[in-house]
Amino acid sequence: MANERIKPVDLPEPRYEYGADDHVFVELAEAMSFTANFKAMAITQQVAERDIEGVVENCPANASYMLRIDPEVIHPDDLIAELRELEAELDLEEYEWETRLIDVPVLFQDPWTHETLMEFRDRHQDADSTDLEYSARINGYDSVEAFLDAFVGAPHMVTMVGFVPGLPWCFQMVPRSEQLEVPKYVEPRTDTPSRAVGFGGAFSVIYPVQGAGGYQLYGRTPIEVLDVDQSLPDFGDSMVFPNPGDILNYRRIDRETYDEIREQVEAGTYEYTYERVRFSPEEFFESPHEYNERLTEVIE
Amino acid sequence: MIEIREGGIASTVQDLGRTGHYHIGMPPSGAMDEYAHTVANYLVGNDGDAATVEMTYQGITATFDDDAVIAITGADMSPELNGDPIGTWETVAVDAGDELDVQFATDGARAYLAVAGGVDVPEVMGSRSTYTLVGIGGHEGRGLEAGDELPIGDPANGSADLVGTRLPAEYVPDYADEDTVRIVVGLTSYRLTDEARETLCSAEWTVSAEADRVGYRLEGPDLEFEERDQPFGAGTDPSNVVDLGYPIGSIQVPQQPIVLMQDAVTGGGYATVGTVISADRGLLAQRQTHKTVSFESVDVEEAIDARRRRSERLAEIRSVIDG
Amino acid sequence: MSQTTTVNSPMPGVFYRRSDPEEAPFVEPGDSVEAGDTIGLVEVMKNFHEIEADQAGTVGEFHVEDESEIEADQAIVEIEVE
Repeated sequence: MANERIKPVDLPEPRYEYGADDHVFVELAEAMSFTANFKAMAITQQVAERDIEGVVENCPANASYMLRIDPEVIHPDDLIAELRELEAELDLEEYEWETRLIDVPVLFQDPWTHETLMEFRDRHQDADSTDLEYSARINGYDSVEAFLDAFVGAPHMVTMVGFVPGLPWCFQMVPRSEQLEVPKYVEPRTDTPSRAVGFGGAFSVIYPVQGAGGYQLYGRTPIEVLDVDQSLPDFGDSMVFPNPGDILNYRRIDRETYDEIREQVEAGTYEYTYERVRFSPEEFFESPHEYNERLTEVIE
Repeated sequence: MIEIREGGIASTVQDLGRTGHYHIGMPPSGAMDEYAHTVANYLVGNDGDAATVEMTYQGITATFDDDAVIAITGADMSPELNGDPIGTWETVAVDAGDELDVQFATDGARAYLAVAGGVDVPEVMGSRSTYTLVGIGGHEGRGLEAGDELPIGDPANGSADLVGTRLPAEYVPDYADEDTVRIVVGLTSYRLTDEARETLCSAEWTVSAEADRVGYRLEGPDLEFEERDQPFGAGTDPSNVVDLGYPIGSIQVPQQPIVLMQDAVTGGGYATVGTVISADRGLLAQRQTHKTVSFESVDVEEAIDARRRRSERLAEIRSVIDG
Repeated sequence: MSQTTTVNSPMPGVFYRRSDPEEAPFVEPGDSVEAGDTIGLVEVMKNFHEIEADQAGTVGEFHVEDESEIEADQAIVEIEVE
C-alpha cells in the first residue's frame, strides 16, 4: 500500500456553462479527483498568466472553475473558445507549479469544539459518540488515535478557498483507497468555534470565523486563516492566508503548545512556518507517500 | 459630514463593490440595485462608483454639518428635509444644520442616498463597500447606527448647478410592476428533473422574510433532483455536488431556491441551476419580502443585450443630467 | 367620546406579539398603552423592528395573528383613543 501510485482519472468532456451574461462556469468532472482539481488549478493559472482582457474574477474550485467577466469587453463564447484551446493544449504530466508547504498546528479533541459538538448531538448521525469516534468507526479504524494518525499522516492540498473569506477546502494527498470520507451533519449546526478544523465529504476545512457549519469537528488550530485587520506579519498583502494550491501539513500539538502559539498570535507576532516548493503532479502521482515525505521535510 | 441620528434596520455604505478577491472567498458586496445607485451618483455629479448609503425597508435620519447636494433614488421612502417632503430621483440642496428623514419603503425595498463628493469612508481592498460578515469596508464594517459620522469627499465642479435636476420619468423604474426576472438556466441544472427545470420557470415564487444581501430565499414548490449514485466527494444528499464556485445571481437549490446576491457565499456544495442576468439583479433586490417573483428563461445573447441596453441607458442619463 | 386609530406595520416581514415564544404578549386587547409603547415586532432580514403605539389609549382588536406574514402598510391593531 505504501507504494501505491495514484492513477490519473480519465475525465469526461468538460461542461462549459454560462452563469448568465457575466460568468463562465466549467465543470471538469462530477466526482472529486486530483486530476480534476489539478486541471482546474492549471487552467486558472494559465488564464491568470494570459491576463485576458475582460476577466475580472478567476476562481479554481475542487473539480471545476469559474470566471467572472465583463461581457461588454469579452463575449463569453470567445472566452469559452480560448478555454477549450487551453484545455486541449494542457498536459498535466508536464505541468508544475510553485506553491507553499504550510505547517498547521492543531489541538485535536480540544475543549471548544468538544463543547460545540456535544451541544449539537441531536443533529448528528450518531448521538452517542463524538465526531471523531464516529469518523474513526465508519472509516474502519479501531481507535480515534489511529484515525488521527491517518488524518495527519499525509498533507492536505487546498483545492478551493471560499464559502466565506479564507475558508480552505483541502483534499488529502493520498491514493483514493486511503482517502477518508465522512458525511456532513444530518442538520447543520448553528454554531462552530472560529479556527475549528472539520471534515466533510472528502474535504478538511478550517473555519475562519465563528458561525454555522455542517462538517464533523475534530480540533482547533491556534493560528488564523483570516486577519481582517492585517496586523499579523504574514497578512501584509492579503487578509486571507491560504490560497488554492497551497499544501497544509496538519501537526498534532498539546494544550501547552496551543496556548503558547495562541499567545503569539494574539500579540501579533506569530509567523507561519512555510516554505515555497515546486509541485509536480506527475512525481506526486508516481509515488505519493515518498513525494509527500520529501515535500514535508522542508518544514521539519 | 453626515451625522446619523437613526440608522434604520439595515443601512450600509456601498459603491460598485470590490473585485479580484472572489477566489479567496471574498464576495464583491456593493450596491444591490446598481442602476438606482449609479443614477443617484449622476444626479449629484459623481462618478457611478462613488459610495452611497443603501437603506433597506427603513431610511435613515441624519443631519448635515455643512451645505451639501444630495439625491435619493431607488425604493420610494418618502424622504423629508426639515419635515417637508422632497423629491426622489432629483437633485436637492441641503443647508448646514438641515435634518433629512427618510421613512419606510412603500414601493421597492432599497433606496440610495448619494451626496456630491461621495461618502468618503476609507477604501478596503479597493472598495468602500460594507461587508458585514467579516466587518470590513463602509463605516467600521457594519450597518449605520445613531451617532455615526460619515465624511463627505470633495464634490465635482458644478455639482451645485445640478440642484433641481429631475430624472425624466421614462428612466424611473416602477418597482411594483417588476415581478419577472430573467435567468439563464445552466450551471449544474442537469441535476434537476425535466419537470423541476420546467417548474423553476413556471412557478410563482415568494420572497422570504430572510431575503437579504447574502441571498434571496424563495418559497414555492419543491424542486426534485435526478436520482444518481452520488459521485466521490459530493456528499450524500441528492442536492449535493462536489463543492464549486457560485456565480453572483446564481440560483442554488438546497431544496427551495436561494438567489445569491452581492454579499454571497462564494462557493459550496449545493447544486446551482441558473443565474439571474446582471441587468435584472437590481430588480430582484427591490422585491419586498412576501412579494412574488417569476423566472423567465432567456439565452445568453438576450442577457448580454439587456446588460448593454442598461449601460446605454445609464450613458443617456448621464448626458441628460449633465446637459 | 372615543375614536379608533389603526396601527399599521411600516414594513413587510413576520409579525410577533411577544419578544420570545416563552414570554407573555407585549399587550392584550383591553390593556392601556402610552404613545411609544411596543405592541409587537416585525422580523425581516433577521432584524427586528418594534411596532409602537402612535397614541395613548386602549388596545382593541388585532387584525393579524402572532407569527403571521405581513405586508408593508398592513393593519396590525386598533387602538381606542380617549
